Amino acid sequence: MPLVEDSNPFAYPAPIWTLFRSTPRAGGFAPGTPGVVTGEAQSNAARSRLRLQLRFERGRVADARFRAYGCPTSIAVGAWLAGWAVGKDVRELAGLSAARLRKELEIPDQRAHCALLGEDALRAVLDRLPEDPSP
Amino acid sequence: MSAVIAPATSRAARTIYLDYAATTPLAPQVLEAMLPYLRGGESDPLLWANPASAHGPGYRARAAVERARAQVAALIGADATEIIFTSGATESNNLAIKGALEFHGALRGSRRAHLVSSRTEHRCVLDSCRYLETQGVRVTYLKPDALGRIAPAQVFEALTPDTVLVSLMWVNNEIGVVYDIPAIARGLRERGVLFHVDAVQAAGKLPIDLREVPVDLLSLSAHKIYGPKGVGALYVRRKPRARLAPQMHGGGHEQGMRSGTLATHQIVGLGAACALAAQRLGEDAVRLAQLRERLWRRLASALPGLHRNGDPQACAPHLLNVSFEGVEGEALRASLPELALSSGSACSSATAEPSYVLRALGRDDELANASLRFSFGRATSVEEIEFAAQRVIEQVRWLRELSPFGKDG
Repeated sequence: MPLVEDSNPFAYPAPIWTLFRSTPRAGGFAPGTPGVVTGEAQSNAARSRLRLQLRFERGRVADARFRAYGCPTSIAVGAWLAGWAVGKDVRELAGLSAARLRKELEIPDQRAHCALLGEDALRAVLDRLPEDPSP
Repeated sequence: MSAVIAPATSRAARTIYLDYAATTPLAPQVLEAMLPYLRGGESDPLLWANPASAHGPGYRARAAVERARAQVAALIGADATEIIFTSGATESNNLAIKGALEFHGALRGSRRAHLVSSRTEHRCVLDSCRYLETQGVRVTYLKPDALGRIAPAQVFEALTPDTVLVSLMWVNNEIGVVYDIPAIARGLRERGVLFHVDAVQAAGKLPIDLREVPVDLLSLSAHKIYGPKGVGALYVRRKPRARLAPQMHGGGHEQGMRSGTLATHQIVGLGAACALAAQRLGEDAVRLAQLRERLWRRLASALPGLHRNGDPQACAPHLLNVSFEGVEGEALRASLPELALSSGSACSSATAEPSYVLRALGRDDELANASLRFSFGRATSVEEIEFAAQRVIEQVRWLRELSPFGKDG
């Protein structure tokens, strides 16, 4: 049998392929973990869902996890967001836009909804933040 | 905290080819048979001559074409004079369907014409039917049941006094279901209706004997049976004679039914592939069916939420189509870069539309999209099946674990 590189045969943009194949921070925090705020978003058109969990300590994200059901791009968006969020405070988190996500992950036009899914999931976390997110 | 660990993926992964229903490699003996007609033979350097030419090399090229015609005929129990060479099954299907309807006056509006086919035919049949609809032909597209079957009675009930032709495939290219072509053929013969069968996925996999089965027109392709791409054949019954209007006009080749200089090397390749298929038929079919069942048992014993598409009691040996609950189709395909397989007919990317065949069986779009077609060939090994099964099991488990549906954390 021939040996070939695992070389992105479907030609996804490189950042999407790398994150989809490695999925850093996939999973969830155990229920009741202190400081965890969960946000979820879904795209009915694309039948995809993204759950983002951020664990806050002293006003900043100490750790993050995500789960996703959807295409590789939406999974990559979850992985990128979870990695990017670590170390950020609420003001920095609120500054993230779908446009930034598209740029970072090289998301093409026809997958723009995946970037919106990411923005929506992050907004859902921010909407559910208590006054003081640091326990 | 529960972290999901992605299965390890090595950088250098093997590619396992499980897409033999899409195409097969050229068999070494087929290539050897073809070469003299491309570059000249060692003892006969002019074998590349035009088989229509009236000189020695032309006659010898013509003899090779006629040998190939006999080899094709032998695979399906036909007479050599009943074989028309074409550029492939798409052309054979176009010629059979459009040619039959045109010959019977359907395109000149001189008579009302009706055509019966099914919703799960290959695109080239469906598109030929749709073209004929624009020319005033009425088409009935039979709906298969949930297992993809079409009962002979369903075909007979669809007939009207205007029905000129029924066109059905012997083996479905996506789900492998085998129609009861002998029973349908006998019923249509009794009723005096022409019958065309697309046998591309059946040839070399199931025994075909047209002396016993009264099919009038039958399409074949070389590249599905280890022959070259770009060549196929249409069987046209002589007794009773199936009449067609040619769709390619020119020098009157192939009894006037398909003009164009004969591609000797391609035709010789088709003939050699048919001879090889006839020789290996029984052995291939048994081994391929064993591989199919092995893969299905491995998947079904490890993963809940699977649906085997098609009828397990009547399926071609080389094909297994499975839908996976709880995973998104594009992610499923993309998670298996080391497997070369299809998710639908001729799907060329990971982002293809859900298969119309699976939709016709009643699968919802999400499940239809999360389907894989595994197809096996002469080179497929048990080791490859085991590797593929392991990768699919790992990746489906992983994508299900990654999904937020039904999870608290």
